Amino acid sequence: MMLWNRLKYLSPARRRRQEREMREELESLAQIAGRRELGNLTLAMEEARAVWGWAWLDSIFADIRYAFRTLARQTSFVAVAVVSLALAIGANSAIFSFADALLLRPLPVSHPADLYDVSYTTPDNALEGMSFPDFRDLGEQSRSLSDLAAYRLTQVAAASNPAAPAQIRFAVLVSSNFFHAIGVAPSAGRDFLPSEASPAAAPVAIIGDAYRRQNYPDRSPIGATLRLNGIVFTVAGVTPPSFTGLDRFVLPSIFIPLGMAQQLEGEPSDPLADRGRHDLVVKGRLAAGVSPASAQAELAAIGAGLARQYPETNRNRRLAIRTELARRVRQSPRLVSLVRMLMGLVALILIIACSNLANLLLARARTRGREIAIRLSIGASRSRVVRQLMTESLIVALAGAAVGLFVAYGGILLLGTLSVPSDPPSFLGVEMDWRIVGFSLLVALGSCLCFGLIPAWHTARADFASALKSGGDGASGKRRTLVRDLLVVAQIALAMLVLIAAGMFLAGFRNMLVQPPDFRTDHVISMDTAPAVVHHTPARTRAFYRQLADRVRVMPGVAGMAMAESIPLSPSQSILTVVPEGYQFPKGREKAVVLGGSVDAGYFSTMNVAIVRGRAFTDADRDTSRRVAIVNQQFAKTYWPNQDPIGKRIRLDSPTGPSAEVVGVAQTGHYLQVYESPAPYVYLPYEQNPRPRMTLIALAAGDAASLAAPLREMVRSIDGQVPVYNLRTVATLYESRATGSWLQFFQMVGSMGFIGLVLATTGLYGLIAYTVSRRVKEFGIRAAIGARRRDVVWLVERRGLTLAGAGIAAGALLTALAAPLLAASFPGLGVSSAAVYILVALALLAISAAASYVPARRAAALDPLRALRTE
Amino acid sequence: MELLQGTLDMLVLRTLLHGPLHGYGIAASIRGASREALEIEFGSLYPALKRLEAKGWIAASWETSEHHRRARYYRLTPPGRKRLVEERSRWAGFVNAVALVMDPLPKAKT
Repeated sequence: MMLWNRLKYLSPARRRRQEREMREELESLAQIAGRRELGNLTLAMEEARAVWGWAWLDSIFADIRYAFRTLARQTSFVAVAVVSLALAIGANSAIFSFADALLLRPLPVSHPADLYDVSYTTPDNALEGMSFPDFRDLGEQSRSLSDLAAYRLTQVAAASNPAAPAQIRFAVLVSSNFFHAIGVAPSAGRDFLPSEASPAAAPVAIIGDAYRRQNYPDRSPIGATLRLNGIVFTVAGVTPPSFTGLDRFVLPSIFIPLGMAQQLEGEPSDPLADRGRHDLVVKGRLAAGVSPASAQAELAAIGAGLARQYPETNRNRRLAIRTELARRVRQSPRLVSLVRMLMGLVALILIIACSNLANLLLARARTRGREIAIRLSIGASRSRVVRQLMTESLIVALAGAAVGLFVAYGGILLLGTLSVPSDPPSFLGVEMDWRIVGFSLLVALGSCLCFGLIPAWHTARADFASALKSGGDGASGKRRTLVRDLLVVAQIALAMLVLIAAGMFLAGFRNMLVQPPDFRTDHVISMDTAPAVVHHTPARTRAFYRQLADRVRVMPGVAGMAMAESIPLSPSQSILTVVPEGYQFPKGREKAVVLGGSVDAGYFSTMNVAIVRGRAFTDADRDTSRRVAIVNQQFAKTYWPNQDPIGKRIRLDSPTGPSAEVVGVAQTGHYLQVYESPAPYVYLPYEQNPRPRMTLIALAAGDAASLAAPLREMVRSIDGQVPVYNLRTVATLYESRATGSWLQFFQMVGSMGFIGLVLATTGLYGLIAYTVSRRVKEFGIRAAIGARRRDVVWLVERRGLTLAGAGIAAGALLTALAAPLLAASFPGLGVSSAAVYILVALALLAISAAASYVPARRAAALDPLRALRTE
Repeated sequence: MELLQGTLDMLVLRTLLHGPLHGYGIAASIRGASREALEIEFGSLYPALKRLEAKGWIAASWETSEHHRRARYYRLTPPGRKRLVEERSRWAGFVNAVALVMDPLPKAKT
């Protein structure tokens, strides 16, 4: 009833009628009783309108209209406010989009919140996959997980038509219920059938939308044939464009039933029967009404049961469920600290911008004082005035957010270029979407509360009687400037913190980047080949590589060559499981997983990796000779501290595996990232440890890039089916890994420091200019009684420098408190050097002096007569 | 005498129990019934009428007064009658409770 009446009142026609009736009624009563008798009818009508309930809506519209009119008259204030907010909000949104892509964005599946990650925790690895038999047992035993999906990422050589050369693509081997369990339906074609899980079934594949667009731009791919690793598959379906796979950084092209794993990868035994192969990623959907805690309890019990039943493979393994976010945090703690640091920096910038705006609003309050006083004196309530002022702030904030989205878009474009040139390309997926827009709005609302509330309250509290009399702002002048002074001091302090953090970050990186590369980057080109994917037996793969090596060695323009399982700084690094002789492992652990791989005899000389003790591999290290290994200095230091590593033995794979004798020590290099802390590395001779995929490294007599085409042709002449990928000069790789992507971080962190500095400087300038404008009369008198220009300039400068000095002191204190946090979030990066502190402090002082000089000069240039006549 | 908070609605409903009245008539009637003790501001009575009308306790229509003037007359609706009964018993309860606290007056010590 009530609501209906109110809703009816929303219609303008009804409102007009009601309004007319009210006027007629009061008119008639006035005739009956006399107007005096009825008292203040305007107020009565106003309150009657409030009864109809939409008066507040009206008054909000009125507020908005009024706010627009007010703001339209103050273009310079609006411009400064919107630009500073846009910079701050844009920086926040850009970094949020980055954090979103790296960590926060939910999986592109239906109801991502109840899809949990199921994985093993072992003493050696906090996040290990499951084997297929374990996955099957889990599915049979678990009641708390309603759907379970398993998958494994792999690379395949894919050719969409028989004539085309095969290209390396990311493929996902999936359990048959995969798409059903994650709730993704094919956008064309069909899902896998249960019968297609069997290795004996006809090979079918589902392709990703991006792959479809690339390879079947103008025809339906359904039913088309696709050669993967030489096997002919039929395309059964296409995933929707929104489905980008379950792994960050990887955009899978092809989905294949897990049953095809053995055939596809040419393995001698069925990997699905091997309980020891813990390489499946498992996701489970929580059954309705089950809490994560009870699911965890059930899984722990199932895991313990499996460990009892199959101690050989499942000893020391605990089964755990995690949210996707927890998995990502565990997977990449480094990214978490990077994101945290960047978010912290942009948050500081936002605070600076907000205090800047608060200051502007406080200054504006002086000019608005009279207007507000009039509104208060004719009966507006203070809360009404606060609401009016907040409406204006909100409009400014929303405008800032809108412009900020463009700033964010620029940042996102910059971040979007962050990738490593690789085949298949990595996929970061930083993009503008509704999440970013929502975040920007949220930041705008939050900042509006921050910068708007205090000034609004301050203004509305003003003593309007005195304001009306003096035409000033009404608040006591001293208190007002104290608040503003404090805001400016805080801004400078925060800007200092941002600058020092950025400086430490940049100095830390610079230290690493100016180091010369610890391996040869000039005149070398590398090429990956995968003969194993076209069903070479291990013997044929070896023969292929031998043939390739022999031919490349005598190629014109080639001065030398080598082969390695992985080359330094390549995004995919091989690892080894080793047991160093004599090393006492912590309880529960018996082996170490370290970086390492097979290299041939030419590797150390071709790549210029120094052997500091012992010898390099030679052609005499054959499969028939004694097993040998070379470790790097860090390995020796970690596992055999203060001992001679030469002659020590390393068992490979397990404590009972084959043992290799250390014959040399290589210099420690950088393997995954230029900024990594020294990592142990083990080299094994290729002849004793042949691998299915090797990287060929050719040393060019002249330009390395010119060898690309002949190398590709060379592989084709040996076997046209073998895919060639990651063919690039080592210099290109090094550039992208060591400088390329970090350059964007440099620019990003640098621009954050810059934005912080600009905002703080604007704040200081604004305050000094304001003070000068308020003291025009005083300066006029000073000039009239003979103060020199220099004195006046100094008078103003002194104030600017005092504020800057206070800000710098506060900033130094703040930084000293925050520095351990910074250093902790980036081990080896947070180089806190006194130089950075001093440089930043001096720069801030100089810029503050410059910012105060402009109004100071204006003060000094005042004509005493004119100055005295003002006000 | 100022009105106690929240009693105006009840007074209006009670006044209309006798029959329809226009806005000023209600004010005058309350004043008269209280022997001029209750000063009803028309400025606060009028929004109260609108509020009661919006709640459906009273209804209004244009009619001609005894002096042949058109005015808007308010009358009690059945829900308004029910409401009056509730308000009345609540008021009685309130008066009793206050009386328990206030009476008997403690004897002033001399």
